[in-house]
Amino acid sequence: MSILANKDTRVVIQGGQAGVNAARRMAEFCYLIKRPLNVEAFVYPPDAGKTNEIPYGSGLLAIPVYKSIAEATKNHPTINTSLVYIGADRAMKGGMEALDDSHIKVVSMITEGVPEKDAKILGAHARKLGKVFNGPSSIGIISAGSCRLGVIGGAFDNLVLSKLYREGSFGVITKSGGLSNEIIWICSQFADGITTAIGIGGDAYPGTDYVSYLEMFENDPQTKAVVIVGEMGGDLEERAAEWYGAKKRRVKLIGVVSGFCQESLPKGMKFGHAGAKEGMKGEGSARSKSDALKKAGAIVPPTFGALGPAIKETYQELLKSGQVKEVVEPASLPKLPKTVEEAMKADEVIVAPLIRTTISDDRGDEPCYDGYPASELINKGYEVPHVIGLLWDKRLISKQDAEIIKRIMMLSADHGPCVSGAYGTILAACAGIGLSQSVAAGLIMIGPRFGGAVTDAGRFFKYAVDNKMSVDEFLTYMKKNHGPVPGIGHRVKSLRNPDKRVKELVGYVKSLNIKTPCLDFALQVEQVTAAKKDNLILNVDGTMAAVLVDIGFPVDSLNGFFILSRTIGLIGHWVDQKRQDSRLIRLFDYLVNYAAPKRREVPPLK
Amino acid sequence: MAKVLEGPGMGLMKKWGIHVPNYVVVTSADELAKLGQANDWMKTSKLVAKAHEALGSRFKLGLVKVGLDLNGAVAATKEMIGRQVGSITVSQVIVSEMIAHKEEYYCAVKSTREGTEILVANCGGIEVESNWDRVKRLCLEVGQTPSPDALEKLSKDAGFAGPLTKKMADFAGKMFTCFDSEDAQYLEVNPVVTRESDGELVALDAVTLLDGDAKFRHPDWNFAFAAEFGRAYSKQELEVMAVDSKIKGSVKFIEIPGGDTAMLPAGGGASVYYSDAVVARGGKLANYAEYSGDPPDWAVEVLTEKICSLPGIKNIIVGGAIANFTDVKKTFGGIINGFRKAKSDGKLKDVKIWVRRGGPREKEGLDAMRALKDEGFDINVFDRYTPLTDIVDKALQGK
Repeated sequence: MSILANKDTRVVIQGGQAGVNAARRMAEFCYLIKRPLNVEAFVYPPDAGKTNEIPYGSGLLAIPVYKSIAEATKNHPTINTSLVYIGADRAMKGGMEALDDSHIKVVSMITEGVPEKDAKILGAHARKLGKVFNGPSSIGIISAGSCRLGVIGGAFDNLVLSKLYREGSFGVITKSGGLSNEIIWICSQFADGITTAIGIGGDAYPGTDYVSYLEMFENDPQTKAVVIVGEMGGDLEERAAEWYGAKKRRVKLIGVVSGFCQESLPKGMKFGHAGAKEGMKGEGSARSKSDALKKAGAIVPPTFGALGPAIKETYQELLKSGQVKEVVEPASLPKLPKTVEEAMKADEVIVAPLIRTTISDDRGDEPCYDGYPASELINKGYEVPHVIGLLWDKRLISKQDAEIIKRIMMLSADHGPCVSGAYGTILAACAGIGLSQSVAAGLIMIGPRFGGAVTDAGRFFKYAVDNKMSVDEFLTYMKKNHGPVPGIGHRVKSLRNPDKRVKELVGYVKSLNIKTPCLDFALQVEQVTAAKKDNLILNVDGTMAAVLVDIGFPVDSLNGFFILSRTIGLIGHWVDQKRQDSRLIRLFDYLVNYAAPKRREVPPLK
Repeated sequence: MAKVLEGPGMGLMKKWGIHVPNYVVVTSADELAKLGQANDWMKTSKLVAKAHEALGSRFKLGLVKVGLDLNGAVAATKEMIGRQVGSITVSQVIVSEMIAHKEEYYCAVKSTREGTEILVANCGGIEVESNWDRVKRLCLEVGQTPSPDALEKLSKDAGFAGPLTKKMADFAGKMFTCFDSEDAQYLEVNPVVTRESDGELVALDAVTLLDGDAKFRHPDWNFAFAAEFGRAYSKQELEVMAVDSKIKGSVKFIEIPGGDTAMLPAGGGASVYYSDAVVARGGKLANYAEYSGDPPDWAVEVLTEKICSLPGIKNIIVGGAIANFTDVKKTFGGIINGFRKAKSDGKLKDVKIWVRRGGPREKEGLDAMRALKDEGFDINVFDRYTPLTDIVDKALQGK
């Protein structure tokens, strides 16, 4: 047996995320005691019509959200309890709505900071209707082995440690949410555990007080003793004492009260909960409460630390008198399924990875490139080309190689608005397309005829050098197997109108006195081809390709240098058009040779 | 509960039709002199000047001056502004007219579990304190308003007679309306006096406690609440309050000068049991603190820094019950950061740290605390199997 919350309790939760979190905790408890989830519905107008996903065991339950209590109870007529998780400024309205619904008998308000006047009105309204209004600021209610309302009881492990999966003999009533768990724990360690534990909230005038619940515990034969945890302020503990002393009670009462420190502190210093305030004339002090409880015959340990032994003593007496029997613990309890992450941490499961990476790791506090933390690279003077080296070829390149890459990037960052890439980006920008799509439109142009010959040029020059071909052998091989040599030839540049970028790059690399077999070979090829036709010169793609192969970059990465460099220019063009607020452009018809058939009649459809 | 100083308190009473003396709140003598030119009552009435601060026993401190003319009030203001009393600097003075009267009465409205009580006595001032049996009560249920008949009966029961009966009944009725409409928790006027000039009842002094939680529906509460323990909040306390107002959950901090046991416990309930345990052991609290409701780790870090900066501390009690939903690892992360910062600033020398806690992710949190030992902290860590306040006993064993 239990009070207030039992196996027939069906719940609606009023509120958003905090309510969902509570439902998850409640589902853990339901899973532990092998019962279906006791939350039937949520009421939260912003999410009405949706469902909230609540994990139960290893599955997921979809719990509907309604816009009003009436709608929830109409669809789920077994609902008899509401938990209120609505903000303090709207809590009163929500609480009233629940109290006024004929299905609902118990309303527990978790909301903190509810105006005192509102709490009093809610409490009085509930009493008038013969219902229970628990809270505000309540941590919840839990009946061991049958029902959990709210987050009271804490994490799953604590539910098990505190033996909340089965009934004990002690009732618990506390103002403090944090201490409720502590007392439940103490009852499970020093005695046989609890029947029901209730957080009444630390406000000055909770809707239901110790006496309301003491009365219920007195009528619950399973509950043999009740522990109340009080604090200075108000008169709730005095009223509990008065109730206990009024006549012979079946239940034993054990009580502790906090606030003795007030006696040696500056007067009026406010501690702890809203209700914890001593009256003007000493009433409500810890001492007066403690004395009142003692006088009424309650067991009052001198300090909180003495509470455990006091509970133990009471339990031993109950055992001796035969009022309670030793509890036999169940042989096994359900275990909360672990998430994949938890199971992996505990070495209990192997997961086949979906992808594999060998270059980058983001799991620490900063990314590591091929194992090197980004900040350390920065602080030790490394630059963008080194990051390219790490991510594209998994090696830390030399300062000299980095300088070559930097120069390649600077030389190929842009080539004016007329080339396919830039024109593609500008066309998209003028059509009002966003940055990433417009840049992508430009990048799409990179291919065999524009900027995309670097990889192939590198591949064939390298092939020739690796196979020690002569220029003639190479040109014959190319003509027979592949066609024109990639990296040779330019649309507008020629021997008489040389490409300054090529001259610059070749001049620099040559000045370094390093071995450049590919570049040397490419220059020899140029001498032969340019002699045949004056625009068959080594172009910038070919030069880059040869140099990059010479400093060790893999052939497949070579187009990347052009894509990366030119992206700088493409972004520039997009921003430039955006800055000018450019208008939509379209071709003029005089720029089109309309070579389509003349207008003609459409024949009848056959 | 939130205490309101006399000025705004009298403002609220005036708003609900209760007669109060003319008054002004000023921040300088010059301002008062200027106001004196603009307001006739200041030239014609005898005046009272009081320091407008949350200070007890102002009379003894010479911060109340009576029977002044305008020049006297200006001089008194000049003298009071800037005076240092403990941690408070007087920055405001309230100057009001003295009301010539013979009789003094008492009226208060207070919140009770059942509803509201209206208290009336036909004696006032210090006389009512020693004659508490002469105070008569009218108890009202939640949602009930007092009828004129009930108020008149109360007035008669308290010993009022003749035309004064109705006047006191009206006065009490207005006090109730003010109480009810302003989300007050306690209103007290002592004394209520009969103004000789027109025979009206006037509130001479007011104690006003409002429900701070109801501020959201009172846009005209444009005044700050006063500290309730006879001193102003310190800079450190205000900084923690500013954090508290911004976050989910709560962090609280009050300094108690002269103590050597610093408190950093979790939970509004457990924190007081920890304080009790320190006092019971003969220790001296250096502060009160509390964090709860799963506050963000940075907020707990701020709180920790303040606590580590308390002068002359020997022990820090990082206590707590078994949390329901406060993430122990996360909140301890904030505390650990605070400890590290304090240590690198040269604090926490010869300070022992005592930890006891349970709740979600307790193992990870406690392990992280234990690891501080390797960084040179003098720290002792206990789990749920050590009773709540035993760490206080261990910390203060030498006492």
